[in-house]
Amino acid sequence: MTDIVLVAGAGGVGKTTLAAGIGVAAALEGRRTLVLTVDPARRLATALGLKKLSNIADPNPDLETLWAAMLDAGASWEAIARRHAPPEVAERLVASPFFDAIARQFPAGAAYAAAEEMSEQVENGAWDLVVVDTPPSSGGIDFLTAPAQMRALVGGRVLRMLTGGRLPGRKTFFDRATKPALRLMDGVLGGGLLQDVGDFLFDLRHTYDGIALRSKSIAAHMERAHMVLVTTNDPLPLIEADRFVVERPGDTRTPIIVFNRTLPEAWIGATTTVSNPRLVENLSRWAAEAAYQRDVRASWEERHNLPVVDVPWQADTPNDIGVLKTLADPIWVRLAIAPVP
Amino acid sequence: MNHELQIVTGKGGVGRSAVTAAIALAAARSGRRVLAAAMTDASGLAVHFGLDRLDYLPVPVQPNLHAMAIDRGRALDEYLRLQIGLGKRVPLLPLSRNLEALSQTVPGIRDVVTTGKLYHEVRSGNWDLVIADGPPTGQIMSYLRASRVIASLVRTGRAREQADKMTELLAAPGSSLIMVTLAEELPVTETLEALAELEGEGLIRLGGVFANRTVRPLGVSEAALNAVQDEAVRASGLLHRGLYEGQKRWRRELPNHVALPLLFGEHIPADVAEQLSTQVVS
Repeated sequence: MTDIVLVAGAGGVGKTTLAAGIGVAAALEGRRTLVLTVDPARRLATALGLKKLSNIADPNPDLETLWAAMLDAGASWEAIARRHAPPEVAERLVASPFFDAIARQFPAGAAYAAAEEMSEQVENGAWDLVVVDTPPSSGGIDFLTAPAQMRALVGGRVLRMLTGGRLPGRKTFFDRATKPALRLMDGVLGGGLLQDVGDFLFDLRHTYDGIALRSKSIAAHMERAHMVLVTTNDPLPLIEADRFVVERPGDTRTPIIVFNRTLPEAWIGATTTVSNPRLVENLSRWAAEAAYQRDVRASWEERHNLPVVDVPWQADTPNDIGVLKTLADPIWVRLAIAPVP
Repeated sequence: MNHELQIVTGKGGVGRSAVTAAIALAAARSGRRVLAAAMTDASGLAVHFGLDRLDYLPVPVQPNLHAMAIDRGRALDEYLRLQIGLGKRVPLLPLSRNLEALSQTVPGIRDVVTTGKLYHEVRSGNWDLVIADGPPTGQIMSYLRASRVIASLVRTGRAREQADKMTELLAAPGSSLIMVTLAEELPVTETLEALAELEGEGLIRLGGVFANRTVRPLGVSEAALNAVQDEAVRASGLLHRGLYEGQKRWRRELPNHVALPLLFGEHIPADVAEQLSTQVVS
C-alpha cells in the first residue's frame, strides 16, 4: 500500500523545500516516490526535475525513483466538475462566472482539489510513497477538513438557505411569494442575479454524490497519512502551528514538529578571541536571535509533548538533491516508515 | 480635504500586519488622525498594537490613532442600512444571513462589503488616513476588482451604484496600495506579478514597496571568513553574508523600495511595530 506523508505549516516557513527533501531522502532508498508540490521556487522546481509545472508527474533526471507534479487548484476544480457532473452540466458549470468565483474564493476548495489529486495518485498503484506539500491556507488544517467542507458546500447549505430547506426543481427555484427576504434581496442586487446564482447552485448539486463518495476515501487516506508540521520560531507561524496541533481531527496521526531555520545554541553567550569588530558584533546579533529561539522552544515544549526535529537556517534556497537530502534526512529518519517489502 | 486610504498587501508571512501597524504609528506621531483597520480574519494587526483583539468599533490605541477589525457580518448589516439605504423597519437578519451564504458563490460580494466599510470610514471625515491591513498578495486583485465585477453582474439598482462609488474611491488620487515583500524569490515574484497586473488595470495607484527583514552587508570577504578558526564566528558570518547576497540579488528585481531591517532577537509584535515605525517614513 502506498505510504503518504502530509507536510503542513504556515506560508513562508520552508514547507515546500522540506517536502521535496523528504521525497529525495525516500527516493534515494529506492522507493518509487512522488512529490506533490504547490508553489515551488524556480531553482527548487529545477532540482526536482519539474519541467511543465503541471499536475502530470515529471521524472527526475538525476534520480529515477523520484517524480514530481504540481497541485494546480484552478485546473483541479475543472477536473472535479468534469469528473462528478454529467458532461453537459459540467460544461455549463465551467463556463459560469460563478464557477471561477468558487474556485478562487471558497477556501476549502483548493485544498479539496489537492486532496482529490493526492488520493488519485495514492490509489493508482504507481508509488511506494506520496509526499504532499499542502496548500498554505490556515496552516494545513483546511487540507484535513476540506472533504467535509466540500460536502457541506455542494450539499446545498447555500441552496437550502435560499430556498428555506426545500430543494425545488429548476423552474420553481425561488418561490419569491413566500420568501420576502429573497424578494428584497433581488431588489437590492437587481438584474436577475439571484436566478443566475440559483441555476448555478442547482447545477453544482450534480457533483454531490461523486464528491460524497470520493471524500470518504480521501478521509481514509488522511487518517493513515504521516504528518509533518513545519514552523519557524516566528510568532505568527507558531500561532498557526499551535492551532494545527490543537484543532487537527482526532483520528489523524500525531505530527512530527519541524522547527526550520534553527540556529546553533552554542552561539548563545559564546566568547571569541577573534578581533575583527564586525565579526564580533555579527556573532552577538545572531546570538540574540539564537537566545530568542531557545526561549520560544522552551515555551513550545511546555505546551506540547510532541516529537521535534530541528532543521538549520540556510542562507540560500537549496537547489540540488544532495543539499535537499541533508536537510530533510533527520525528518525522514524520524518518520520511520517501514521499508517496502 | 486630505482623506487618504492606504491598503497594505503582501504574501503570507512577510510581515504585512507589522508594516501596517508601523505606518499607522508613524503617521499618528506626525499629527494625522489615523484609523488602522484589519480587513481579514487572519490579520495579526491587534498584537502589533499590543492588544489581544480588535472590535468593529474603533478603539483608541495612542494619541491620534484608532484601530478596528472589519467583522464581515457587522459590515454587511451596515452596508445594507447605510450604503444601500434600507430603512430601520426592514428586518435585516434573514437578509444578511442569505447574503452571507450567497457571498460564497457570487464573486465580489464579500470583498465589496469589506471595502465598503473602508469607503464609509474614509468618507466619514473622522480620519486623515485610513490604513488597512489587507488581504494577501494572491487575493488583492480580486478585492480591488470586486466592485467592477459586481458592476458587470448587477446592471442596475443600489448595489450597482454603491459598487461604482467604490471603484471611484480606489481610483482617487488619495488612495494607494502598499506592497510588503521579503527579498526572496517567491514573495518578490508574486509582488512583481501583482505590480504588472496593477499597472495594466489602473484600479489603484501604487503607494510604495517595502522589503522587510533585510540585513546589512557584513563587510568581510568570503575568503577572510573561511580563514576564521572560531566556529561560531565563521558560521554566523557565513550565514549573514549568504543572506545578504541572496537578498541583494532579489532586491535588484524590485522597483524603488524602502528596506526595513531584520530585527535580531526582537519578535514581540508590538515592539517590532514600534521599531519599524521609525524606519517607514522615507
